[in-house]
Amino acid sequence: MEQQLLRTLEATCIQEELPFCTAACPIHVDVRTFMACLAKGDERGARRVLDRTMPFADIVGRICDEPCRQACKRLEAGDPLAVASLERHCVTGTAVVLKLTKLPELEGRVVFFGSGLASMIAALDLARKGRSATILTTDREIGGSLRNFGEERLPLTVLDAAVEQLGSYGVNIIFDCQMDPEFVEYTLNYYDAVFMDRDWAPIDDFCLDCRHPDPLTLEVDRPGCFTGGGTGPDGYSVIQQVEEGRRAALSIERYLQKVSLTAQREREGACATRLFTDITGIEPLSLILPADPVAGYTRQEAAGEAARCLQCQCLECVKQCAFLQTFKEYPKTLVRKIYNNQAVVQGTRTANTMINSCSLCGQCTLICPHQFPMAEVCLTTRQSMVLDSTMPPSAHEFALQDMDFSLSAVAAMFRHQPGKSSSRYLFYPGCQLAGSAPDLVEKTYLHLTRHLEDGVGLMLGCCGIPAHWSGRQELFAATMEDFSTIIQENGNPLIITACSSCYATFKEFAPELQLRSLWQILEETGLPEEKRAPLSQPMTIHDPCGVRKEPEIRASVRNIVRQLGMSVAEQPFSGELTDCCGFGGLMQFVNGPLGEEAAERKGGRSSLDSLAYCAMCRDNLAASGHRVAHLLDYCFPAADQADPLLRANPGFSGRHENRARLKEQLLASLWQEASALAPEHKQVVLTIAPQVRELMEKRLILEDDLQKVILQAEQSGRFLEDPQTGHRLANHRPVRVTYWAEYEVLDSGYRVHNAYSHRMILPEGKKV
Amino acid sequence: MSTFSFISQTTWRCAPCNQELQPEKVNVSYMGSVFTVELMVCSTCGFVLIPEDLAMGKMHAVEQLLEDK
Repeated sequence: MEQQLLRTLEATCIQEELPFCTAACPIHVDVRTFMACLAKGDERGARRVLDRTMPFADIVGRICDEPCRQACKRLEAGDPLAVASLERHCVTGTAVVLKLTKLPELEGRVVFFGSGLASMIAALDLARKGRSATILTTDREIGGSLRNFGEERLPLTVLDAAVEQLGSYGVNIIFDCQMDPEFVEYTLNYYDAVFMDRDWAPIDDFCLDCRHPDPLTLEVDRPGCFTGGGTGPDGYSVIQQVEEGRRAALSIERYLQKVSLTAQREREGACATRLFTDITGIEPLSLILPADPVAGYTRQEAAGEAARCLQCQCLECVKQCAFLQTFKEYPKTLVRKIYNNQAVVQGTRTANTMINSCSLCGQCTLICPHQFPMAEVCLTTRQSMVLDSTMPPSAHEFALQDMDFSLSAVAAMFRHQPGKSSSRYLFYPGCQLAGSAPDLVEKTYLHLTRHLEDGVGLMLGCCGIPAHWSGRQELFAATMEDFSTIIQENGNPLIITACSSCYATFKEFAPELQLRSLWQILEETGLPEEKRAPLSQPMTIHDPCGVRKEPEIRASVRNIVRQLGMSVAEQPFSGELTDCCGFGGLMQFVNGPLGEEAAERKGGRSSLDSLAYCAMCRDNLAASGHRVAHLLDYCFPAADQADPLLRANPGFSGRHENRARLKEQLLASLWQEASALAPEHKQVVLTIAPQVRELMEKRLILEDDLQKVILQAEQSGRFLEDPQTGHRLANHRPVRVTYWAEYEVLDSGYRVHNAYSHRMILPEGKKV
Repeated sequence: MSTFSFISQTTWRCAPCNQELQPEKVNVSYMGSVFTVELMVCSTCGFVLIPEDLAMGKMHAVEQLLEDK
C-alpha cells in the first residue's frame, strides 16, 4: 500500500474526528472525556482534562460562555449538556491536577500591552514555550474586564492566584505603567514581538491601529505586532479572549521562529467536524438542574448530568461487524496496521490473521457515512501478500483444496440435457448446494428441464471465488477462463445460478456470459405442484451477502416465498445491509471462532425460524444451532416430509461426499453413464462419533484424510499401539499437512477416536 | 540452537518393532527453519510420536509464527 493511499483511507474514516462539542470549542477542550470522568465520579480526572487544554481553568471554567452547548448532540434527544455549569462545579471543587511544564528558555522577548484575559493567556502560552514575557498595564490589578464579573461568579482571590501562576512561569507584570506614544514606540522597537490586548481601554490612543487585524494570524499592519481580545459587537465574551489570546500566542511563536504564520491553521479555533453519531433509539433526557441554584451541582447531581453525555463517536461499521469487534479496530486503525504489516521486512507480520479474517462482505461500506472500502483494502492486501510471497501457506489451503476437489473429475461435470445435443440454458447449482443438499440439485434440475425449452444443460463445479477471496489472482483468472471456455464451446447457454456468490462472480468477472439467478427463473416458470403444507408462523429471510447489490433477485425470492403461501417477517439487517454467515472471504477457514461468531450474529438477528437461499448460509446457521431451511427445501419437499428446519450441517467431509455422490448418481440415473472407480482409500469404512466429527470439523480434517492415514498404516504395518486400550495411532502426509488418526480395529472397518494434524515436517523413518 | 525437549511417559509402543518408544533428538522443519527437538521415538524404525497436545499446542504456535515471518 502506498503512503498516499494510506492517508486517503485514514481520512475516509471519521471515527477520530472531533466530537461536536470539542469542534465548537475554540480551544478544543475534550468535553467528551470530561463528561465521562464526571459521570463516574472522577472529579480529579475531569479537572485533569480541563488543565490540559484550558488556560487558567479556575477562571475560564467559572465563566465560560460555552459555545459548545449549542453543538451538543444531546440537543436532538433532550436538552444539551450543561457544560459551563459542570465546569464551574469541577473547578470550584478541585485544585489544579496537571501543572503544564515550562520548556527551556529561548531567545525572543515579547511584550503585552494590557492585562486582560487575552494578554494573560498569550503571555502564559509563550512563557511556557520558553519565551521572555512582560505584561505592561496602566491598571493596578490584572484581569481587565474579568474584574466586572463580581465576587460570586469570579472571586478576586482566583485572579490573585492567576498572578501567582504567571509569576511561576516567569511572566513579568508591570502595573501602574505610565504610557505615552513615545514610550509605546520605544517599547515596540525594543521587543521582538508585541501583543496589544483590546480589553485595555487606551489602546486606540497610540500609534498602532489594532482595529483590523488579519483574522487568521491577528497580526496588524506592523510586522511582529499582534492584537486580540476586548469587547466585540455582542459584548465581552470570555471564550473570545481565550481564543484570540491563544491564536495570537501561536502567531507570535511562529513569528519568532521565522516560519509561516498561516500554514495549516484550518483546525485552529472553532471548526467543522465530519463526525457522524447516530441517535436513533436514544431516549430523550432532560437537563438535570442543581437543587440549589446558588451552590450549584452536588457531586451526585453533576455525575447525573454528565451521564447524559452521548459520548459521541461513529463506529457505525463496528457496531454491526463481528470482524471489527473481534480485532477491536475501526477502519482508520485497521488500515494503519495493514500498512505497517506490509512494511515489515524482517520480523513478525502480526496483522496477517486480521487481514485474512475479513469476510469481504461489504456491509460496513454501505453502513459507513463515507463508504470506507474495507473489503477492497483487505482483498488487495491479500493479493499483494500472495505476489510477494508473504501470505501464510496455511491460511487458505483447506479452502483451496476444497475448491480443487469441486473442480476435479470426482465432482465436476458438464452435460447437455439427456437426449439433447445442445443447451439453450445451463443450470449451475454451485459447489455448496451440491455439497449441502444434492437431492435438491437433482429436483431443481429436473424441474428446469420440464419448464424450459431447447435444452437445459447441467454443470457441476466451483466458480473459483475461494481463489479470488484468498488473493490468488492467477489461479482465479485461470479458473474463470476454463469456465468461460466451456460455456463458449457449448454454444454460450444462459447460465442459471443457484448460488449468489457464483452469480456475483460470473457477473463481475465474466460479463460476456448470459446470466440469471435461479430465483428469477423459478419466479417465471412457477413452482412444482407438490408444495409443502404452508407454515402458520411467519419466517425471517436471511439474504446472502452475495445479493447485497441485487434487489431484483431479493424481490424474486420474496415472491417465491409468497407463492409458497409462507409469510415473511423482515429483520433490519436483511437486503443490502445483510450480514455474512462467516463463509465469505474464507473467514471461517482462517479464523474458526470468528466464523462461528459471524454465523451466530446473522442467525441471531431474528428469533423466528428462518429461510436462507445460499447453501453456505443455510449450513453455517444450522451449525450454529438455528432452525433454518433452504428455500429449495420448500419448493421441492422431501418425499418423507422430513422437517427441513432440522436438517443438520453436513460438514466439510459430508459436502465432499455429497458432491462426489451427486455426480455419480446423476450420471447413472439421467445419462446412464458409469462413474470411474473410487480410489482405494474410499473403501476404508470409518465409524466416527459426533464429538470426534465436531473436532475434525474444527480442525479442518476430512474423513478422506483419515481414510488415507488408516489405509497407509494398515497396508505398511507402521503404526503405534497402546496395549491398554488396543488403539492404534498412525500418521500420513499426503501433501503438506501430516494427519494423525487414533483408531480401533472393528470387525468391519475402524472406529476413529481422535484426529489431529500439524504442518511441521518429521524426519523419514529409519530403514529397517 | 538449543534442543527443546517434549519427552513424556507414553503408553504408545511401536507395533511393528514391538518395543517401547525412547527419548531421541530429531530434526523437524517448516518453511526453511530446522529445529532439533527431543521426542519419543522408536529407536529401531525411527517412528516419531507427536502427541495431540504438542501438535495442536506448541507446534501449531511455532508454525503460525514461522508463517508470519
